[in-house]
Amino acid sequence: MSEEILLKVENLRTHFHTKTGIVKAVDGIDFELHKGETLGVVGESGSGKSMTAWSILGMVPKPAGRIESGKILYHGEDLVEKSDDEMRAIRGTGICMVMQDPLTSLNPVINIKKQLTETLELEYDEDKPSLLQRAIGLLSSVNIPAPEMRVTSFPHEMSGGMRQRVVGAISISRSPDILIADEPTTSLDVTIQLQYLKLLKDIQEETGVGIIFITHDFGIVAKMCDRVAVMYAGHIIEQADVVELFDNPKHPYTKALLKSVPDLDDDVDMLPTIEGQPPDLANTPSGCVFRDRCPNPSDDCKEGNIEMAMIEVSPGHWVDQCCVNCGEID
Amino acid sequence: MASTDNSLIKVNNLKKHYPVTKGAITKTLVGTVKAIDGISFDINKGETFSLVGESGCGKTTTTKMILMSEPPTDGIVQYEGSDMAEFTTASRKEFKSSVQAVFQDPWSSLNPKMRVRDIIAEPIVTHEKATNNEIQERVNELLGVVGMHPFHAERYPHEFSGGQRQRIAIARALSTRPKLMVLDEPVSALDVSIRAQVLNLLKELQQTYELSYLMIAHNLATVKYMSHQVAVMYLGKIVELGNPKEIFGDPRHPYTRALISAALPSHPRLQRDELVLVGEVPSPIDPPSNCVFRTRCPEPTDDCKNGNIEMGLIEVSPGHWVDQCCANCG
Ligand SMILES: Nc1ncnc2c1ncn2[C@@H]1O[C@H](COP(=O)(O)OP(=O)(O)OP(=O)(O)O)[C@@H](O)[C@H]1O
Ligand SMILES: Nc1ncnc2c1ncn2[C@@H]1O[C@H](COP(=O)(O)OP(=O)(O)O)[C@@H](O)[C@H]1O
Ligand code: SF4
Ligand code: SF4
Ligand SMILES: [Mg+2]
Ligand SMILES: [Mg+2]
Repeated sequence: MSEEILLKVENLRTHFHTKTGIVKAVDGIDFELHKGETLGVVGESGSGKSMTAWSILGMVPKPAGRIESGKILYHGEDLVEKSDDEMRAIRGTGICMVMQDPLTSLNPVINIKKQLTETLELEYDEDKPSLLQRAIGLLSSVNIPAPEMRVTSFPHEMSGGMRQRVVGAISISRSPDILIADEPTTSLDVTIQLQYLKLLKDIQEETGVGIIFITHDFGIVAKMCDRVAVMYAGHIIEQADVVELFDNPKHPYTKALLKSVPDLDDDVDMLPTIEGQPPDLANTPSGCVFRDRCPNPSDDCKEGNIEMAMIEVSPGHWVDQCCVNCGEID
Repeated sequence: MASTDNSLIKVNNLKKHYPVTKGAITKTLVGTVKAIDGISFDINKGETFSLVGESGCGKTTTTKMILMSEPPTDGIVQYEGSDMAEFTTASRKEFKSSVQAVFQDPWSSLNPKMRVRDIIAEPIVTHEKATNNEIQERVNELLGVVGMHPFHAERYPHEFSGGQRQRIAIARALSTRPKLMVLDEPVSALDVSIRAQVLNLLKELQQTYELSYLMIAHNLATVKYMSHQVAVMYLGKIVELGNPKEIFGDPRHPYTRALISAALPSHPRLQRDELVLVGEVPSPIDPPSNCVFRTRCPEPTDDCKNGNIEMGLIEVSPGHWVDQCCANCG
């Protein structure tokens, strides 16, 4: 990891204007991504993880969705101000999305050669044979055996693990400096999942790409990430280096969530749970968004007399201030 | 295999082979998929028996045999001591109301056009003679059992969250007072903060009603948390069987070890030794002879490679069974 900042998100708000009200999908978040770093964005369904990614990629569904405020700084420029065409170019070469589900991200009726050379063509002004050579090189860089034969296969002729490698190859084919991996909730076989995670790590080691890994799963965070941002109801409520977050979670939500996950290396009879469910984002409570589920809210919390904002409790460890002020955190 | 008096289901040398045909009209037989190939185990009363293994290893097929939704090719399944193949119409009917299933996806497993009341009551109406009043009372009671309220009965599935829908599915499964519930990935589609709620609910119900569960789950930590017995399956065979302490604390089979090493860590400092398996699961149409795992085994002996071994479980410590070839070859 290096000090070089690839991406800086400041006070980003992305809202949806729907018939039933304003859905505050992302409601004032800040974070940075460094070169060679993996940032985990962890949170429950609907907490705003994908909308954060889509905001960065300039793909917020219009017209209902829009970025209300904030900056997304990338190579010194604010992506929020970019036109659709400019964003399309950036998505191709600078910031790429990589899907974990290889079935939905490969075109089933086009062979791998065509899918790879079409992407490579956008980057390299070369003739067909040399693009094909590049495609074969990419396949071999993601450890596909016999790449010169495999390149003419169709996706369905490959196993799940191989398709995943092809998706990996496509996502790095134009040498992006940021990869965003948005993991869908479907459960993959643990063995295939491990292969995928290793592939991403290998790519990172090779290229220094910064990765934003969106996930529900603290296990993936523990395995993959250098830093973690915990999202809840459109807010980042805590952010820290990964070891610090696991050792010293501060926010009641982070603490409860970490305890509620079964652990293969531990024996418990009953897991601690978090009662209730995440709020409806068209109708978030005032003050602290977690207050309906908080095990120990202060009077101020209950009345919604507090504003959400992050403060740094130790170097690099940020927690929502309301929680710090109300004494929940020492 | 060890037999206990406490068993509800006894499975003995069960096989399910599917013909593989070519051609839409002629249907020429080109092979056989050995979806399950000679497995034996007991499900005890009041206990959870879990099946783990990569996709395609035969977990769902096993549950189909036990739910009697398809007949086995060979082998015997006994329910409370009687051979299910010899069930009379009456005993078959009774059996069908004593086993229920809860599936992974609470979004698609509930009929969207039915009120919660009717969803929960449906199995009662199918299997029993009960008056409307009795049914209403049972529905209200069941909603209470799964932590919901009587007023929820009048609503439709789309008005509920994933966790609540899974509770409704559980209430429905409980409605006929079953002895066995098949849980196929019961929490993997749910949010992290909701998973522990549902797992704890299942545990409490098990203790209250002496329910047996046959569970399938990818997440090994969840399996460990829930199970009394765990069977590790590979290509239609059980390669290791035992209580979770033995299976996860002292795994003997190289495949079990590989699965555990692929499990995600619970803390960033606890990175497991990675035992990445080469290649993919071979086709079940023509599985490797003798040890089915030998094409991917990290350390096959000469005997293994030459196929000089027979598969079959032997007991390596009380209640802990491992495929014999592997136990012998050390
Ligand atoms: N097109 C849309 N119109 C209105 N609301 C939307 C739209 N897309 C997303 N939302 C809302 O924005 C919020 C954040 O959604 P987002 O997709 O970012 O969640 P997520 O954290 O990625 O969840 P998951 O883990 O389920 O993928 C949710 O409340 C969602 O319902
Ligand atoms: N109806 C069927 N016809 C042919 N093959 C089948 C059928 N059902 C399952 N199989 C095959 O049997 C094997 C085991 O399947 P399954 O029990 O669904 O595995 P799991 O649930 O462990 O993923 C797989 O190879 C699958 O493709
Ligand atoms: S601010 Fe108050 S209500 Fe919110 S998490 Fe902290 S203690 Fe709980
Ligand atoms: S029997 Fe031999 S090949 Fe099979 S798992 Fe054991 S050691 Fe490996
Ligand atoms: Mg998402
Ligand atoms: Mg299955």
